Amino acid sequence: MKKHYLTGTLCLAIAIVIMVLSSMNFLSLKDLGEIVPGPSVKEVKMLSDYFEGIQDTNMDTEVYVLEGTKPGGKVLILGGTHGNEPSGYLSAITFIENAVIEEGTVYVIPYTNHSGMTHNDAQEASPQFIHIPTQTGTRTFRYGSRASNPIDQWPDPDVYVHAASGQQLSGSETRNINRAYPGRPDGTPTEQAAFAIAELIRNEEVNLTFDLHEASPEYPVINATVSHEKGMSVAAEGVMELQFSGIQMALEPSPSNLHGLTHRELGDYTDTIPLLMETANASQGRLRGATNEALALTGIDKSYVKSQELGFLYVPYDESGHPIEERVGRHLQGIIEYTKAYSNQYGEKPVTFSNVPTYEALFLEASKEDLGGPQLGKYLH
Amino acid sequence: MITLIYRGIIALVLIFVVWHIFEEEKITHQANAALVIIPLVLRFLMIK
Repeated sequence: MKKHYLTGTLCLAIAIVIMVLSSMNFLSLKDLGEIVPGPSVKEVKMLSDYFEGIQDTNMDTEVYVLEGTKPGGKVLILGGTHGNEPSGYLSAITFIENAVIEEGTVYVIPYTNHSGMTHNDAQEASPQFIHIPTQTGTRTFRYGSRASNPIDQWPDPDVYVHAASGQQLSGSETRNINRAYPGRPDGTPTEQAAFAIAELIRNEEVNLTFDLHEASPEYPVINATVSHEKGMSVAAEGVMELQFSGIQMALEPSPSNLHGLTHRELGDYTDTIPLLMETANASQGRLRGATNEALALTGIDKSYVKSQELGFLYVPYDESGHPIEERVGRHLQGIIEYTKAYSNQYGEKPVTFSNVPTYEALFLEASKEDLGGPQLGKYLH
Repeated sequence: MITLIYRGIIALVLIFVVWHIFEEEKITHQANAALVIIPLVLRFLMIK
């Protein structure tokens, strides 16, 4: 055999080994881990139960149905709209595993854009996984992407035109589910998933919807709740209660000319009251230093401390960072207070629950060593 | 449909690159071609 045939075979063999190893890694990203159903979970549906068009696709996702012992109103919690905003899906999972519903029904979708959880933004140096120690061992969660997986939806157009309004955005936003509402049954996979969520809200007559997000510390809408105009009364009462709990929360009206987002379109196209909450996540910011799992869980970053000193940020930032317990605590306390405010104002369809970890339990009462995962792990099974 | 055409193009390029590995006599060029194969196969199988 000629020498160059031998070297060619060797190069090919090495490439195959690398291919197998990298394939195993990429395929492992599709495993989102198990969620342990809590005491009130009566059923786990699929989003495709509300729109068959996404059945057997990577857009289909689990819907946990938590029922109370008494009838009442209905609440929907959307976690994982953006896979690189971990406090969103970790709050939803913590709610599923702990909440005891007394009146009404709560639907929880931990991974709203399921496809976005199956890949990550390697060019942003995003970690692939985050690990949280619990009493039964270390649990592994995915750190995903803001957008649907390009394997599931491609190519991106140069300009993304929001179908319902004609609004034009950057082409990359075509895979962002929070620019796709109210969705279309014959649209892109991302638009179809958004349509399925709107169908869930319409079919189940959901009264109050939460969409849980994070934002970079230099983004103006942060530590804030964005509300559709029909939710302002509920949101205002909730914000007052949050302020009494020591949580600084801004209340922002949903801009009427910014389309595709939950707080605008779910309010316009369904009967639900949509509220979107934002916490501070350094790992998705532009001014961050080293990007890794520790940054996602602790928020500790020298670059952001310096940025705070220079006046670039919209949240306080010191050497303590913004640990995951603070961010999940804000979301869960927000869900508690806004649901209470809704039940006060819509007394004929109340939703009440208990056993959801509060901001105080998760963050204020935690020892410094337990912040960055261990304190949250005490509430995960 | 567009995905099928796309995968067909990838398969064609893949065949040429593998052919090139065995046609090429310099090992550095062979190694270069082998590197190109990796993303092509991952894309063809729709893994990444």
